[in-house]
Amino acid sequence: MSAVQASPGKEASAESTLVLPSVVGKPKSRFRPTTAGWFARGLAWAALAWFVFAVPGNFLSPFDLHGEDIGHLITAAVFVIIGLSLNILIGYTGTISLGHQAFVGIGAFMAAYMEVDLGIDFWFAVPIAAIVGGVQAAVLGAISLRLTGLYFALVTFAYGVFTEESIFGIIGFTGGDAGKAVTRPMGFQSPTAYYYLCLGFVVVVLWLDWRLTRTKGGRALQALRENPRVASSYGINVKAYTLLAFVTSGVFAAVAGALFAHGKDLIVPQNFGFELALSFILMTVVGGLRNRAGVVIGSVFFALMEGGWLFKTWLFDTVGVDWLLEDGIGLPLSFVPLVLGPILLILTLTTHPGGIGQQIAPIKEWMLGRKFDIHTGKVRDVEVTDVRA
Amino acid sequence: MSVLEVDNVSIHFGGVKALQHIDLKVGEWEIVGIIGPNGAGKTTLFNCITGFYSPTSGSVRYRGMDITGKPVHERTKLGIGRTFQNVGLVKNTTVLENLVTAQHLETDYDAFAGILGGPATFAEERRLADRAHQILELMNLDGVAQARVADLPYGMLKKVEIAAVLATDPDLLLLDEPGSGMGPEEAHQLGDTLLELRKQFGVTIVMIDHHVPLVTRVSDYVYCLNFGEVLTEGKPDEVRRHPEVVRAYLGEDPEEPEASTVAAADAPATEQAREEYV
Repeated sequence: MSAVQASPGKEASAESTLVLPSVVGKPKSRFRPTTAGWFARGLAWAALAWFVFAVPGNFLSPFDLHGEDIGHLITAAVFVIIGLSLNILIGYTGTISLGHQAFVGIGAFMAAYMEVDLGIDFWFAVPIAAIVGGVQAAVLGAISLRLTGLYFALVTFAYGVFTEESIFGIIGFTGGDAGKAVTRPMGFQSPTAYYYLCLGFVVVVLWLDWRLTRTKGGRALQALRENPRVASSYGINVKAYTLLAFVTSGVFAAVAGALFAHGKDLIVPQNFGFELALSFILMTVVGGLRNRAGVVIGSVFFALMEGGWLFKTWLFDTVGVDWLLEDGIGLPLSFVPLVLGPILLILTLTTHPGGIGQQIAPIKEWMLGRKFDIHTGKVRDVEVTDVRA
Repeated sequence: MSVLEVDNVSIHFGGVKALQHIDLKVGEWEIVGIIGPNGAGKTTLFNCITGFYSPTSGSVRYRGMDITGKPVHERTKLGIGRTFQNVGLVKNTTVLENLVTAQHLETDYDAFAGILGGPATFAEERRLADRAHQILELMNLDGVAQARVADLPYGMLKKVEIAAVLATDPDLLLLDEPGSGMGPEEAHQLGDTLLELRKQFGVTIVMIDHHVPLVTRVSDYVYCLNFGEVLTEGKPDEVRRHPEVVRAYLGEDPEEPEASTVAAADAPATEQAREEYV
């Protein structure tokens, strides 16, 4: 290949002119926001930072958030990690996992077991839980990745149910129906402090996910998802890289599980039922496959909807209709995500396959200092056929 | 020693004998052309060489090494690069991204280091992008580096595909109909490009094409396949004038109705061939 470095462009001959299609060759003039533009963007960023950092700490905030509310925010941070983890499988690799609640549960119980029964410190328990999560994903992947599509999804589904019914039923490991109560690590005992710790983990996972998509592994996944034949002709070991995605996803999910275990007062096997896996898939697809910002927003939204909390606290209380459902006819609000989720899924797949990420693309680009263009995000649509079992 | 040796390869799909007892030899720095009507088994032969199919019998040797059972990505590692009949590119990304992806084996860090985001990976990413730009420049494609593959016309994609295979740093280049979708003039330029590639990169090239004038101009040796067998082989001019070849391509033999229907399905290429012969 030294010839390339030695004499680039030598081959250029006079008559070989290229007719460029209209999409190419328009040199984009660099857009620079005005001072007011920068100021507006700064305000938008400040508002975002305020929402993520200040509100949970009741700092400069009109809301008065207590223990339970913070608990939901912790769940939101955990769900973000889970959403990013599932995005690696569904979004980057194109394989669907219906057993992700088991990945999360294994991380949760592993960390809980190590801390409660073996007395291992949080800072060692979480990495070990992550490694165990990676190993179990590798084993499941090595066995089941011989299948693709719907049948692969079925195997992961079976794995999720099997884990819930058997592994999580081992009383010595999970405490059985009594569950396990984990105390938060030193220095992060208050829910608010623990929330910030979870944010730290979210930042780390965001970094890793960003680097994954920008480097060798991420490109290999993209190639093998779109065209495994081309990928292998580029020298990509399709099976190995699918497994790599599986392991990475398993590690992220296990870390999320470990954080989840510390966020709750008590974890029981019933926490990791199939309905949770459903929420995970809904939030990832509705958030927008392969769209980091979209997945984050989708995950936060679904986390806050867990048990109908968002509606109970912000909507029903304000409008004053909570007497109607839960207090009135005794209908628990936990149905809300399971009804709203599929509706959002249908809307996503029929009108905006790119999910929330596609919808917010103009705002995101604007916040990153580019010109506001309502049509941003249309070109790189996720195709509906992409979201396949 | 020959670069590629296909030894008595046969492949059957159920009752269909797609290839029967194919022998093929490609020497260092040679350009070998493979012609034949549609359905003759040319692409199937490529698939046997690159590992997408494993032959029912016979063996494939690359630089003396038996590679018959090796998976595709390992053959790429050995230096076999190929293009596809229906454009083998990752469609949802830019041309540049494709060339960087194609440098998978050239990438000087492993996937985990990439995920962790070590400082060396950033420098390596820049190097890969630079090298991709150099290859695009060489192929006169630097204008389309940032274009999305799905937005480009077919003829240009065929060139982008060659650029992408070059990025894998091959010793042996297998081109499946590189000239399809190109007019006579573009095909002539493509011929120049191929000859230039051989000179600059020292690659050996095997190409399938219906564009008989292109094949005869650049090839050192030509094989003509028909119905999964080698109909004839030899110097380009001999093959081109071979009565069997003319008959297989133009389908004038009333005894072989199938041949003519197959040829008719590929009207543009056949018409061009007919013009050239007359």
